[in-house]
Amino acid sequence: MTKETFLHDKHVKLGAKMVDFAGWHMPVQYTSIIDEHNTVRQNVGLFDVSHMGEVIVSGNDVLEFLNSVVPQDISKLAYEKAVYCQLPNQEGGLIDDLIIYKIGILEYLIICNASRIDEDVNWLARNSKGYDVRIDNVSHKYSLLAIQGPKADALMRKMGLNTRQDSFTIKPAKISRIKVMASRTGYTGEDGYEILFENKYAEFLWDRILDQGREFGIKPIGLGARDTLRLEAGLHLYGNDLDENTTPIEAGLSWSVPKDKIANYNGKDVIMSQIANGTQKKLVGLKMLDKSIARHEYEVYFKGEKVGTVTSGAPSPVLGANIAMAYVKNDKEICTGATVQVMIREKLHDAVVVKRPFVCKHNKVKI
Amino acid sequence: MGIEEKVLCSKSHEFILKNDNGSYTIGLTDYAVDQLGDIVYLELPEVESEFKKGETFATVESVKAASEIYMPISGKVLEVNNSAVDSPEILNEDVWEKGWLIKIEPTGDSTEKDDLMTYNDYKAELE
Repeated sequence: MTKETFLHDKHVKLGAKMVDFAGWHMPVQYTSIIDEHNTVRQNVGLFDVSHMGEVIVSGNDVLEFLNSVVPQDISKLAYEKAVYCQLPNQEGGLIDDLIIYKIGILEYLIICNASRIDEDVNWLARNSKGYDVRIDNVSHKYSLLAIQGPKADALMRKMGLNTRQDSFTIKPAKISRIKVMASRTGYTGEDGYEILFENKYAEFLWDRILDQGREFGIKPIGLGARDTLRLEAGLHLYGNDLDENTTPIEAGLSWSVPKDKIANYNGKDVIMSQIANGTQKKLVGLKMLDKSIARHEYEVYFKGEKVGTVTSGAPSPVLGANIAMAYVKNDKEICTGATVQVMIREKLHDAVVVKRPFVCKHNKVKI
Repeated sequence: MGIEEKVLCSKSHEFILKNDNGSYTIGLTDYAVDQLGDIVYLELPEVESEFKKGETFATVESVKAASEIYMPISGKVLEVNNSAVDSPEILNEDVWEKGWLIKIEPTGDSTEKDDLMTYNDYKAELE
């Protein structure tokens, strides 16, 4: 049976095309993916991302515990700050990627992928042996809305948000007099907020944000545009670009793996050895040189030899070109601007290796 | 009489339209295009190529995914709509007149049309 968020009926009423995503019946588009994409780049968009998982980890040993399951150094995470990290297995492969927020002295909030909630909670529980911690999956209690775009901050202020917060911080706040946790994060490469609140307020806040956002040109945004926005921003999608056979180093996430962290964590030896010695494969950006589109699992060739596999691909409305991410052989000649070929329906199409993100990001806000 | 009333539609959402010279125009139904959303890429066959009923003759891509398009009847390609290849978004505007895909000379017998439906029956089937 497919799951529904507390906003399911709103999406249907708005005429959204609904699809199954990670076991959830979710809106893929309301009007047009390209139009919704441009709305977020130019104005502001509203996303229902209540399918995502929320797990609260607390207790006397919570810091030591979290430090033993993620490469990031959680001891450096200050109160009300957020950090992007991954949950590696013993081989350095990724069980999930997450954002961890410090929300109390001995309390952390984890936001994880909808498709991986069960695996994450199970993994955390299995690794918690010997630590004095509590792991509470509270995903079913909260709804999560993302308000993203250059006008997101103005809209939130109009609706009563009076916190002053940098990107990657979380604060208790009130929006239209409803108590929320406001996080200045997102998955689009734009400035914006993700607000977490009790399910019972979901329909009220959804309507209210769309109503108050009208003067900013707000539109509801489906998962289709969420995918093209994150791809343009060079952000990974678990299940496409990350899985249990890819390490953060292969995925180009070395920036989120401190080299000086003292505590041991799952997969640390593999990850550290890859930092020191390099990897066999590497995630690169591709820009197609014709109108064809590289899709998940298409093969990549260089000088007639198969050198990799596409993980994500779609049109980039901002660039007016088709872009993709692919794991390719970690070879300097390939990884620095080579022209490679993608096999699409038994024909090779030229693509050039480019840097990620594909477009400029505007999500770094410092007060 | 609108074009919708003259076409026959397949279960896989292609339509055929008989032209005065005996050739057929093949395209995707408005419902199919609406379901796909923004059309961003179209791959059409070469003129002179031949396909049997049910074979893949073209590929259409929306932002999300690539979909194959099947021959509703057998035929030899006489003409392809190059302006739709250049500007695939015209399919989102109009599938019948501007956004058609190919014109064919039919090579099968008339029983191939037995499982095709009038536009009204096709719409009723979708309900």
